[in-house]
Amino acid sequence: MSLDYSIILNKFPILLEGCLVTLEISLYSLLLGMVFGIAGSLCRISSNRFLSSIAFFYVWIIRGTPVMVQLFILYFGLPQLGLKLSSMTAGVLGLAVNTGAYITEIIRAGIQAVDKGQMEAALSLGMKPRQAMIRIVGPQAIKICIPPLVNQFIMTLKNSSIASLVTITELFRTGEQIIYTTFRSFEVYTVIAVLYLIMNSIFMVIADKLEKRMARQ
Amino acid sequence: MSAIIEMNNIFKSFGAIQVLKDFTMKIRDGEKVVIIGPSGSGKSTVLRCINKLEPIQSGAILFEGEEITLSTDLSKLRTQIGMVFQRFNLFPHKTVLENIIEAPVVVKGVTISEAKAAALRLLDRVGLADKADNYPKELSGGQQQRVAIARALAMNPKIMLFDEPTSALDPELVGEVLLVMKALAEEGMTMVVVTHEMGFAREVADRVVFMDQGMIVEEGTPEDIFENPREERTKVFLKRIRY
Repeated sequence: MSLDYSIILNKFPILLEGCLVTLEISLYSLLLGMVFGIAGSLCRISSNRFLSSIAFFYVWIIRGTPVMVQLFILYFGLPQLGLKLSSMTAGVLGLAVNTGAYITEIIRAGIQAVDKGQMEAALSLGMKPRQAMIRIVGPQAIKICIPPLVNQFIMTLKNSSIASLVTITELFRTGEQIIYTTFRSFEVYTVIAVLYLIMNSIFMVIADKLEKRMARQ
Repeated sequence: MSAIIEMNNIFKSFGAIQVLKDFTMKIRDGEKVVIIGPSGSGKSTVLRCINKLEPIQSGAILFEGEEITLSTDLSKLRTQIGMVFQRFNLFPHKTVLENIIEAPVVVKGVTISEAKAAALRLLDRVGLADKADNYPKELSGGQQQRVAIARALAMNPKIMLFDEPTSALDPELVGEVLLVMKALAEEGMTMVVVTHEMGFAREVADRVVFMDQGMIVEEGTPEDIFENPREERTKVFLKRIRY
């Protein structure tokens, strides 16, 4: 059996469109996931028992269940309760909720990794806890968080392939559709893998630059 | 002289460990008090209770005659109480100058140019005018601690608390920090200093307080404590630290 990548060439524009959808899903779920993560981490370290337990259960449930099951509950499960989400909404929301739980833990760990003396020094100068968090602890925590956050961003971009299962035509599903008509599984899947690798590499390079710039400060 | 700080019958515990037991102490305006004692005796906790970094279980703390309660504006209270920490706790992501102007600008609303001018005067006082644009990690421990003192002074506090300010320093860097503290004492600043530097205590303190197991064992002038200690525990402690 010979390999023939030429078939992919005329399908390439469709694959690129798939890439765009993948980037779109990833970007939205990352942005929304960051919002969930920042809110979650602040709740998690809050002295308010109610908020911290909500954040605890959020992280516990999401980390303890497969992302695919979470997406299926949103897309296929909720309509039974009368709530029908579009595939895009369900996909982005599901991935965001999922990645948000991990980001919650990353940011919480980052904040707690900052020396306690920093908060104390800021408070002793008369700063309010919120000011101290935003101006003193936060900037130092961000620096600590960047490497694990980059990791999480990469995971999210790869996890976006699961969105194909709730009928979003992103890169992976585009590839599957090409296979239905061409029967070229090996060629298509390898090309898809390379496309994911390229997207992630671009992202890694940007992240690396950012990290180096932050380290210089 | 009136009392700037009054601590009355303070009980403080960390979990099951009782750190301060019925602790009572007054600090008069302008007074220089040095607290000595073995580690774990509660010396640092006394300082940290004064500016409410640590909550107390019972007792009363008064600042300028007014009891600190739940409704006390902690931010306002702390602007009047400077604190210097054992491990400096400078903000690593800010330059020396930014460290010093941070609180005056953010808390007191001083304009940046005014705060900068004041910060440069303070840096000059602690002998570090040329380090304004350096980051803390580029400074020696002694220099960092002097910046930390300048940072606390930038708020124009009425009293300064020093929590073992030279304990984290290499021996050859201790002198420069003590020198700055002595100058501050001569200018009349009210100071409470937890330290193991007995020479400093002798020279600067109006009163030396010896603490052990969360209580004041003995207090008096440096001569009282160092030459004629009455209590056995004080004698044992002094003998131990002299070697």
